Amino acid sequence: MSYLLSKSLIVFALLFIAQISSAEQVALKTQSRLESEPINSQVFDSAIYEETKQRYQGKKWLTLLWSVDCPPCMKELAIVQTLQQQQSELAIVIINVDTYEDSEQQRDKILAHFNLMSQTNLHFSDGLEDHSRYLIDPHWFGELPRSYFIDEAGISHGKSGLASKVLLEKWLLLVRE
Amino acid sequence: MLLVKNSKLLSCIVIGIVLNVIPDVFADHHQHQAKVKTMAAVNEIDCQQVDIRCAKTVTSAFSPNGDLWRLWSQKEALYYQLSNDNGANFTAAKRIAITDEKVSARNENRPKIAFDKAEGVYLSWAMPREKKYTADIRFSYSNDYGNTFTAPITVNDDDLLTGHSFNEMLVDEQGNVSIVWLDGRLKKDKQSSQGSAIFMATANMKSGSLAQPQQLFVNKEVVNGTCVCCRLAIDINNNGNLTVLWRHIYADNIREFAITTLNEQKQAYQVSYDHWQINGCPHQGGALSIDDSNRYHLVWFNQGDKGKGIFYAHSDDAGKTLTIPLSVGEQSAQAAHPYMSENNGIVDIVWTQFTGTEHQLWHQSSHDNGLSFTEATMITTAQSGADRAFIIHKQGKRYVSWQRFGQGHWLSQL
Repeated sequence: MSYLLSKSLIVFALLFIAQISSAEQVALKTQSRLESEPINSQVFDSAIYEETKQRYQGKKWLTLLWSVDCPPCMKELAIVQTLQQQQSELAIVIINVDTYEDSEQQRDKILAHFNLMSQTNLHFSDGLEDHSRYLIDPHWFGELPRSYFIDEAGISHGKSGLASKVLLEKWLLLVRE
Repeated sequence: MLLVKNSKLLSCIVIGIVLNVIPDVFADHHQHQAKVKTMAAVNEIDCQQVDIRCAKTVTSAFSPNGDLWRLWSQKEALYYQLSNDNGANFTAAKRIAITDEKVSARNENRPKIAFDKAEGVYLSWAMPREKKYTADIRFSYSNDYGNTFTAPITVNDDDLLTGHSFNEMLVDEQGNVSIVWLDGRLKKDKQSSQGSAIFMATANMKSGSLAQPQQLFVNKEVVNGTCVCCRLAIDINNNGNLTVLWRHIYADNIREFAITTLNEQKQAYQVSYDHWQINGCPHQGGALSIDDSNRYHLVWFNQGDKGKGIFYAHSDDAGKTLTIPLSVGEQSAQAAHPYMSENNGIVDIVWTQFTGTEHQLWHQSSHDNGLSFTEATMITTAQSGADRAFIIHKQGKRYVSWQRFGQGHWLSQL
């Protein structure tokens, strides 16, 4: 018994240390991110989603999901572009949902067109489109554009379709670092 | 013995505590493992080679001789395979013998295939043009069961660099071709939210002149003010008239389904009243099937204030009045992308659901022409992506066709 108990406690201790170490690494990584440039052109996954949530914890921020195939999405990106001209740092995470052969090229071209490459922008990965969608919101069916207005308490308010400029201004321009 | 039991119990408790204390770490680990496994399955496929598993969409249909054709797009070309045993075995993939060009084959957009009774094979697709949101509707025909195809022609006759896509095609036994599509030619202001129009064209390759193919398809406006990103649904009614179901834009971006039968009515009928107000892209069209008694069977999807999810209804007056819409699938389980088809009094509805890790294909059927339905059953699953499902028929038998990205094409009898 004592052998097995000791073994279990050692496993527990090792796992506990590993957890602390892992948590520290995540915290360090996040801290490092906070002090660095926005996250650009990276694949969306649960880890990076958590990281963005931590980054904006206690603040109002916006997640904007868009596709190259969605004309109203271009209008919302255009509004964000005008807001960016008024305030260079926006609490926004722009996520592209396309995963086709020529998606990357089209995506970058559109972001460059709207001069939004300096904002945090992510994209879904091939074969995991629905997984990513579900991770963001299990009640979202993929209609676009989709905007999530996340308040200071971390409560997310989803909106399908083009968000008005007034609403986007209210949400994004009030955020000051 | 007791000590050993206790030790095991203690170990379980300790491990349980560990698992409980660090749920996030393990959650991430599990998700990461699932992702690695899924992506590994996909990455094992060399998509530089022709492989149906690389396709996001597959179009399939039975030809009059009973062969199953399945068609997909890869690297600016169209490929097909044949099966003479209902999908158990297929011929090697063969390229449609036309010059390479871009083919829209994602989400609601995909190539179409149809047959006549004399070895004629008909293809139509949307070809993206050089400017964003522009495309042409293309058509090609084989009179020798696919060995050769005519050089593709552009069906839309406006010669404008604008949107022409979401094509649907029907061909009857005599080779009368009807193509219907979403068309942007009537947009006066590209910033407006007025939507698209629906245009159609008909032809008969046997009576038409292949030397002047553009004269084959005379374009005709069906309706204006439609949603720009949802597929259309078409069928021929008992009077031989083409019927079209689409998502229309009413008032201030209320996206509801509407139906019209050509030559029989002046104004379209609104058929859904779910009040989905969205200045955006739902990416979810409906399905239409007209039975021998001229009953119109419909399914659609909405996320409105008054109706959310998949709905089925039928109409005995061409859509003017409908039965009370029946809710289909589990809204909370992401039920979406319905397809429906009637055959010999049996109405089949298929749709997809998603658990967060697994795509599911569901089915429900009515054996009394849409009055009542069996309980929903799950047919199969997919791990790394799922296309819309479709129902195809062969000599009175009903099959469901479902492309699963990275896994392959699924076909089973209903």
